[in-house]
Formats: sequence, structure tokens, C-alpha cells
Amino acid sequence: MAVSAERLGPMSWLRVNLFNRWYNAVLTVLLAAVVAYLGYRAALYLFWTAEWDPVRANLTLFMIGTFPREEQWRVVTQILTLAAAFGILWGAMIGSARDRAAQSGVPFTTEPGWVALRRWWGLVILLLVLLLAAWGILPLILALGCMALTFSLRYITLRLPSGARICAWLSGYALLIASWQIVSGTGGNAWIWAAGLMAFAGVRTVRRKDLAPQLPLTFAAIAVCGAVVWVFYAVVLNGLIGFSGVGWDDWAGFHLNLIAATISIVAAFPLGLLLALGRRSNLPAIKWLCVTYIELIRGVPLIGLLFIANSLLGFFIDNDSLIGFFLETPLSQISRAIVIMSLFTAAYLAEVIRGGLEATPRGQTEAGQSVGLSPWQITSRIVMPQTLRASIPAIVGQFISLLKDSSLLSIIAVSEILRVRASVHSQGAFTTLGTAETLVFIAFAFWAFAFTWSRESQRLEKRLGVGDR
Amino acid sequence: MTETMTSESADTVSSYGMIEFGSVNKFFGNFQALKDINLSVAEQEVVVVLGPSGSGKSTLIRCVNRLETHDSGRIVVDGVELTNDMRGIRHVRRNTGMVFQQFNLFPHLTVMDNITLGPRQVRRLPKAEAEDLAISLLERVHIPEQARKYPGQLSGGQQQRVAIARSLAMEPKVMLFDEPTSALDPEMIKEVLDVMKELATTGMTIVAVTHEMGFAREVAQRVVFMDEGEIVEINTPDEFFENPQEDRAKLFLSQIL
Repeated sequence: MAVSAERLGPMSWLRVNLFNRWYNAVLTVLLAAVVAYLGYRAALYLFWTAEWDPVRANLTLFMIGTFPREEQWRVVTQILTLAAAFGILWGAMIGSARDRAAQSGVPFTTEPGWVALRRWWGLVILLLVLLLAAWGILPLILALGCMALTFSLRYITLRLPSGARICAWLSGYALLIASWQIVSGTGGNAWIWAAGLMAFAGVRTVRRKDLAPQLPLTFAAIAVCGAVVWVFYAVVLNGLIGFSGVGWDDWAGFHLNLIAATISIVAAFPLGLLLALGRRSNLPAIKWLCVTYIELIRGVPLIGLLFIANSLLGFFIDNDSLIGFFLETPLSQISRAIVIMSLFTAAYLAEVIRGGLEATPRGQTEAGQSVGLSPWQITSRIVMPQTLRASIPAIVGQFISLLKDSSLLSIIAVSEILRVRASVHSQGAFTTLGTAETLVFIAFAFWAFAFTWSRESQRLEKRLGVGDR
Repeated sequence: MTETMTSESADTVSSYGMIEFGSVNKFFGNFQALKDINLSVAEQEVVVVLGPSGSGKSTLIRCVNRLETHDSGRIVVDGVELTNDMRGIRHVRRNTGMVFQQFNLFPHLTVMDNITLGPRQVRRLPKAEAEDLAISLLERVHIPEQARKYPGQLSGGQQQRVAIARSLAMEPKVMLFDEPTSALDPEMIKEVLDVMKELATTGMTIVAVTHEMGFAREVAQRVVFMDEGEIVEINTPDEFFENPQEDRAKLFLSQIL
């Protein structure tokens, strides 16, 4: 019954779609009764019978665990910095897309920022729940501050002339790195970061021929940006914060889940790409090495790998070994876990990407060959871009399951959110009280992020589909 | 008019013409796709390969730029024999353009980028120069206004003309057409054939596998008729269509004309 909803009033829509036959009417009534009953029970549970006290009393603990309380401001600053970086990079991304579209003569529309908020309602609800539970003014200020930062910086970046956009990328990346360093404290000399980013921006700009008329503006902008980065690092990070930081081993709670998953994602992606290419290599040695690695890792459950990392890795990586010479040893529990999660995800990603590689029509490679491109040029310029586009849903799915898998770290005594929960319930007041409710809360926190990523990936897919055949 | 190459020495072979096949055999498993192929295509010659489906036409043309490898015999293109040596293969591919039945444009790149990719990556032309070249080629195939679109936004005929421009951008000595109009709607076939005819008048060496008999008659200097992996007859178009020598060619013509 393909009758469009707009043309019908609510009553006639019901009649046409839900009560059009007697058996449909019966089904509708039955289902409505079931839904109403389930909804009633859920509401009853959520608002009356559930014991939210352990969640409410330990919100901070759930979020950052045993992170030193006097250093808590680092996490807050990190969140604000991330919000700023996000706003800037978002604006820069839209700006670049708009430039490209203008060059191609393709019409381009920007959605207003608040439309994106609609897509993120998972995160928005999480935020509301946190605010409700915390019942304090500070989280509210933080949340509003983040949004204000993100959207105002997005607004400003969008209105930069394209010659100065490189600065947005520059400061966005700098802030991303800084957001990491604010917590970890692993810094460096301010001028190295500033000079590195400026050089990167300079090279990128010179290669962009279309920016030639705006070149003086661009270089002025880069210089200003470099100076700001330098001041930020030298004065704010080195001077005020002192770069002492909080070591990995003190990170905990949901904060740790998110960071561990993010680092693993960043590390796993290039490795997975190489493995996928290696598996299709003509050189038998490389091919079988990759196949062995992939099948070995995929044949073992993640928990098993984590146990192996926990107990066996120390035998290989000690102070006397070559690896131990370069790495800080002994590896902390968390860094071992992150290494294993990256290696694990890389194997799965490799298979996902290989699927995409095989789905790219053979004619694409042949067309590249007939033009005289080298195998590497064919892979990097023709096959890979199409492969990655086709694999986006599967890749994002892999990342979502990685985030959820980070809860397994509790098994090897990393104090991520599930382990924090265990410690909450080992205390006097909450030993039996609200054990289900804390789980519900944790599940919800994971869902909010996983759902938002999934929605963003759907959008990305649609956007990259532009110009597809 | 049938020519058979008997000499096997490289010097003799390469002095003959742009493309030389000497006793070439090609197998797919147990199936022999090419049987003892001997063929010579001179510079600036236009050769049309005809034959029923499965007769090995496409395999023959794809052997010229080594999209298929031959199992025995020798193939020499532009004085370079095709072996497993990558440098030789890349030299040949650089100097031969190929147009496919399914266009095989790169869907993630604009028309402009499709055309400039080869010149910029292989011939190392600067961007501006490559784009000027692309525009002039798009004018030659009559669609300069489509430069900034994506292949998916174009009609089949336009896509195939972009594919021709993409091949020409490498400034090849030989153009290979592998059933360029077979995937097109009838009303678009003419626009592609017109471009191919114009190309033939410029003195390009062309080998085309096609079912367009009109094109073969009008443009080809020779027609090669294949069946079951063999070259059955090589003749001028007029002779071939009016007075075919071989029974299989007569049967083929009676079925399609």
C-alpha cells in the first residue's frame, strides 16, 4: 500500500495502512497492546522501581575512574579542546567540499549545524541523562560551552577565505594533538610542533595551484597560525600546565574506553590496509605472511589475545630485548591492551578491505593499465579510493565493535568502565543495590556513541556517493 | 591479400609494422582462444576485426597491450617485443590507447581528472598543461562542457567519448577499440563512431573489434575475420563484404547482413 503519508489525515492514514483488512486490524490492536505494555513496564522500571543511586553517586567514577581528582581539570580541558578542534575541522571540511563543488560546477548546499544535532540524538540523550543524574551546574556549563565552541568555530571557519583555510586545518590538527597532550603530558618542544605544522601547511599550499592569487594571504595566515600554535604550546602547555601530565596507568573509566578505542582505530587502519594489499600480493612470501597473520588473529577470541598479551608479551618485550630498547618498558597494562586491540582489529579490517578490493571491477584495473599507470598508481589512485568508499559501512561497523570490545579490558585488570562498576559494587552501600541499573547505564553510554557513529557513517556513505555510477 | 608471417627473427618482425603477431597461441585452461595467429598492422593502418562471439577477437586485441598474456609465439608492438619484462610492457601501454566496451571510466574522478590522470602520473605533465590538453581533447570529442562532471552524470555515448579522450591524452601511436559501441543505446552509437572516423582520418593506427559493418566498410583498410580462435580471412572491406573467400565468412555475413 504505497500511499504517501502527507496526503492523508492521521485518521485516514490509520485506516489505509493499519486497519485496511480485518486481520491487519487484529494485528494492529495486538501489537499496540504489546507495545503499550512493554512501554508501561519500561517506564515503570526507569522512573519508579529502578535504583539509580549507585549510578548517580558514582557518575564521575564511571566517567574517569580513579583518575587523580586534582588533575580532573585536564579531562575537562581535553573535552573543550576537542570540541574546538571538531568545530574548526568541521568548518574546514565543509569549506573544502564547497570549493571542490564550485570547481566542478556541482550545486552544493550546506546543512545548518543544528541539523547535525538531530543526527546525534543518541549523544544528546546521553548528555541529558548525565545532566539529570549529576544534578549540578558544572556539567551543564561544560556541555553548553562545548556546543558553543564547536558551532561558533564552525561558523567562523566556514567564512574564512579559501586561501586562509589551510590555517583552519593547521590549528584543528594542532588542537587535536594538544587535546591528547593535555592529559598525557607527553609533549615536546613547542617550536617543533609549530614548525612541523607550518611546513606541512606551506608545502600543501604551494602545491595548490588554484590558491596562487591568494598566496600572500595564505602565507601570512600560516605564519600567524604558527605563532599562535607556538604560543599555545610554549606558554599554555609548557608554562602553565607544565607538561607533567597523567600517565596512562592512571586513566580509567569510560574516558579510557573511548581513548583506547580511538587509538586502536587510528593504529589499526593503516595496518589493516597493508594487510589487505599484502594478501593480494603476487609475492608468495608476503602473501602467506599476511594470510597467516589474518587467519591466526581471526581464529582466536579477543579475550584469549588479551590474556596472551598480559602474560606472554612480557617475555618478548623486556628491557634486554631489541624492542624493549626502543619502547618504554615494561609496557603498561593499558598500552599492551591497546597494542592487542589494534592488531586484532587490523586483521578484521584487512578482510573487510579485501572484500572491497575484490568488489572493484576488474575493468578499472585494466583501464589503469592501458593508460600505462604502474601497479602502485593503480592501487592508490583508482582501486583504493573506490574500495574504501564501498567498505565504509563495514569499516565503521568494525570500529563500533572495537569500542564495545574495549569493555573486555576489564578482564585483564584494566580499570575501564565495567571494572569501575565492579569496584562500585564492592563498596558497602551498593553491594547488592542497583547492580542491574549500573549495567543499563553503561550499556546506554556505549549505545550513545555506537549509534552516533553509525548514523554519521550512513551520512558519509551518502555524501561520497556523489558522482558514483 | 592474405599475409602470413613465416620469419621469426626480431629484426624482420619489427621492420614490418606497428603491430606484429607471429604464430601466437593463447590458452584459457584447456580452451585454445588463439590458434597460430599471424598478423601485421602497418603504421597509420585501420584494421577492423570481425567474427562471431567467442571467436577470440577481444583476446587478440587485448594481447596487444598485454592485458592478456600469450602462451607461445611472439607479439611485437612499436618495435618492442612483449615478454614478462615490465619496462617493455609499460612502454607498449604508454604508446597504445585502449577503449573498452564498458567504458571503464574511473567513477570517483571527474571527467577532467579521468583524462589528466595518465598524463600527469605517467608522462609527468604539469597540471595546467595536462588540463589544457584535456580540454582540447574534449573539444575533439565534442563535449568540452562536461569537463567538471562525474562519469555517472553522463550518457553512455558521452562516457565512451570521454574514454576515447582519456586514451588520446597519452598521445598513443596505436588505438585499440574493444567493441566500443556494443554497450550503447542505438542513438548514441553514431556519435561514438563519428569520433572514431575522425580519428582514423588523422592517420592514427587503429585496431577495432566491432560489429559496426558500416564503420568497417567506410573506414577500414583491411578486415580481419576470425572464427574459433583462428584468423580465417584477411581482406579489403569491399572484397570481404562483396566477395568473401571462405565459407565461414560467407555464413557469418549471411547471418548478420
